[in-house]
Amino acid sequence: MITRWLVRRLARTVDDRLRIAPVVRRALVKVFPDHWSFMLGELALYSFVVLVLTGVFLTLFFEPSTAETTYTGAYEALDGSRTSAAYASTVRLSFDVRAGLLMRQTHHWSALLFVAAIVLHLLRIFFTGAFRKPREINWLIGVTMLALALFNGFTGYSIPDDLLSGTGLRILYSVTQSVPLVGEWLVFLAFGGEFPAAETVPRMFVAHVLLVPAVLTALIAAHLGILVRQKHSQFPGPGRTENNVVGSRFWPGYTARTLALFAWVFAVTFALGGLVQINPVWIYGPFDPAQASSPAQPDWYVAWGDGALRLLPAADFRVFGHLVPSPFLPGAVLGGVAFAGLYLWPFLERWRGGDGLSHQLLDPPRRHPARLGFGVAVLAFFVVLLVAAADDIIAKVLRVPVLDVLSILRVLALVLPVPAGVVGYLLARALLRGGGRGIGDVTRRDVRSVRRLATVGSRGDVEEESSTEGGPSTEQPRSTGAATGPAAGDGGPRIELWRERDGTWRWRYRADEVTLTGNQGYLSRPEAERAADTAYGNLPMLEVEPPGGRAAVVAGAVERAGRAAGRVGGSLALLVLAYRRRRRDRRR
Amino acid sequence: MPRGAGVPRGAAVAEAGRGGRPNGWRALLIAVVLGLAAGPVPLPAAAAPVPVPTPTAASLPGGTASPAATGGPTGTVPPADPAGARGADLYLRNCASCHGPAGQGSQRGPGLVGVGPASVDFQLSTGRMPLEKVAVQPPHRRPAFSAEDIRAIVAHVDSFGGGGPEIPTVSPGDLRTGREVFLANCAACHSAAGVGATLTNGLIAPSLEGSTPLQVAEAVRVGPGLMPAFPETVLQQRELDALASYVQELRGDRLDRGGASLGRLGPTTEGLVAWGVGLLLLVLAARWLGRRADE
Repeated sequence: MITRWLVRRLARTVDDRLRIAPVVRRALVKVFPDHWSFMLGELALYSFVVLVLTGVFLTLFFEPSTAETTYTGAYEALDGSRTSAAYASTVRLSFDVRAGLLMRQTHHWSALLFVAAIVLHLLRIFFTGAFRKPREINWLIGVTMLALALFNGFTGYSIPDDLLSGTGLRILYSVTQSVPLVGEWLVFLAFGGEFPAAETVPRMFVAHVLLVPAVLTALIAAHLGILVRQKHSQFPGPGRTENNVVGSRFWPGYTARTLALFAWVFAVTFALGGLVQINPVWIYGPFDPAQASSPAQPDWYVAWGDGALRLLPAADFRVFGHLVPSPFLPGAVLGGVAFAGLYLWPFLERWRGGDGLSHQLLDPPRRHPARLGFGVAVLAFFVVLLVAAADDIIAKVLRVPVLDVLSILRVLALVLPVPAGVVGYLLARALLRGGGRGIGDVTRRDVRSVRRLATVGSRGDVEEESSTEGGPSTEQPRSTGAATGPAAGDGGPRIELWRERDGTWRWRYRADEVTLTGNQGYLSRPEAERAADTAYGNLPMLEVEPPGGRAAVVAGAVERAGRAAGRVGGSLALLVLAYRRRRRDRRR
Repeated sequence: MPRGAGVPRGAAVAEAGRGGRPNGWRALLIAVVLGLAAGPVPLPAAAAPVPVPTPTAASLPGGTASPAATGGPTGTVPPADPAGARGADLYLRNCASCHGPAGQGSQRGPGLVGVGPASVDFQLSTGRMPLEKVAVQPPHRRPAFSAEDIRAIVAHVDSFGGGGPEIPTVSPGDLRTGREVFLANCAACHSAAGVGATLTNGLIAPSLEGSTPLQVAEAVRVGPGLMPAFPETVLQQRELDALASYVQELRGDRLDRGGASLGRLGPTTEGLVAWGVGLLLLVLAARWLGRRADE
């Protein structure tokens, strides 16, 4: 009760000075479509939050320097050793700082999950065509963030200056150096000298904790700002048009949901950080250019580059007399082409037969067989590259010669994308044409999922695309449903309008079994009609009784009674407690 | 440790329950098989410590050097010495068919003259010899013989002459030095985490998980398989002690401060866990949360 009074008081104080009530009110009734795949981006966002929080903790103890120092601490096998300050402080974080290892491991796990969530999110966007107009800008921002995430992952992995990451850094150095003409200049520019240069770790540190996170934060803000401005796209379904958004309001439905997801991300990353060991640098030892450990792989998100380096045969060649070293193609060109392809895809697709129209409704993946097939083929290629990065581990586990594994993977990398893409294409075609019948179980399951997709959010809130000037919106519980609503019309799609008790007008869309209530109230009937018309075009409109009016009142009365009972009960309990305590005190 | 590949799973479990007994049984089994393979041979050795069953050596395949073979042990080991007789007996039953009765080697196995006690002890105590089946690289198993029998066989093979590295002594050493020596000399093949890695042609540098300090020291001095040998001139006794101590530190999960080690295979398994556990859980959570309450 006191809390509520405080909150109300605070809100009023802030609103008196900043006049934020209209903005907040609009934000709270903002509608987000319901589909689990729309929450993948949130997974990445919350992983980023975990990264920032744990990362701040780590910066308090990490020393970004390769200056020699003597480690003294709980790790016996390193106690008294001369190592770089970066390595010594990382081991100290793991052994001597309270909760340091938990934070380190959570940071690393959430980094892996961050990139994984971004990739899944990207795949969802790609296969549903969410990158089409008007969302190309957000696609470009997203791809940029993926590149930054990879870069920051790599720098974070490298700055502890341990033996494993030093090997990876050495590879990146060589790949950069392999760029024809400018390679030597590039490595000196980026690494600050010949490998291993003293400046490399401090530079990577600044990029890792300052520059890239700042840019990422700005881009995330832009990403979300554009999302809010453009409204979220939605899958086709009953009641969903190019002009509306059907789903849950931000408050309270979506807020609870997204906070729960936040808690899940925290729980999973910290559980992994506490229970599963990751990157035990104390075992790997400090970096020494003369030493190496085997097996050695990078983190998964850059492992495709490592896999490509392993797969491509060593072949130097000359172009116009300039040497092109063999790491150039797999190390630099592949990544460049991949990201160029990602950046250009929306424009390529529009150029090759796409329309230039704005799309608010998503494609189910099958709607675009060529896109699906191409995506699956590229995905298969990169998965083979990822597997190739672990060729030595596969060889060891299976006890087969590593060169045989390599040969098989070489063939797979070239061959597998073709059948994978063709299968994807044909499956999409078949599903599209036959409505899902004719190719066995997969198809039947797909059909089921499609039907489920179509009925997702069959009830919910509607937000019209070009919002009219909203009047004071009444925060009213969502419609109590078709059962209590007045039986009107013949069951075809129609718009129902009614006047609330407080004088505002609201509307809802009704079809056979679907009821979608508009998320705002309007001061006049024409305004409500205009809004409904924007969302649904030419549908018959009829005025009805306010739905669930009595129910709302009853609910209100019950709620009030419950609250009063709670208050009385609480006071009584306090009294009893106080009484018992006093008696106990007296007895002493 | 996994037992031989030929032993069924259930059998392995049942045997493990009975402690050290199966090794004796296996040795007996091998002896019987070898004896049968050798033809109509009397088997008195198992019962009584008679000098050397000469007919066994003579009737073995490739046993052309039988005079030398019988001459060696009988010459150096008097019949009254039961340990020497036991060593010779075990050798002839389990080793001679490939390595030759006098350790001269055959088409099926290398000669043992001059390999040194350290090598023989290493091969026997890690269970790599005798071979259960022909393999390019026999795995680390439980030893087929008791420590006493191994000592006897080692002494017998040593009697073939030729010198070779003696069984080294190991004492507890400095962990820090051990870590440095390990990372500089061993990590490139055995991995910094001691879990082993792949080499060429399907060979592997084995995991050090089951290696005792003495076995580590023997391997360092001997250089079995593809591994280079590190004699005293390269690696001093102090460094060897330190190295053996550090390998003990690597064994088990003493250094896995961060939780489940994931086989210490590095980023590969970490990536698999990130996708297969972390992201899977989060996507399931999203699927659950993404559904409306009224669906």
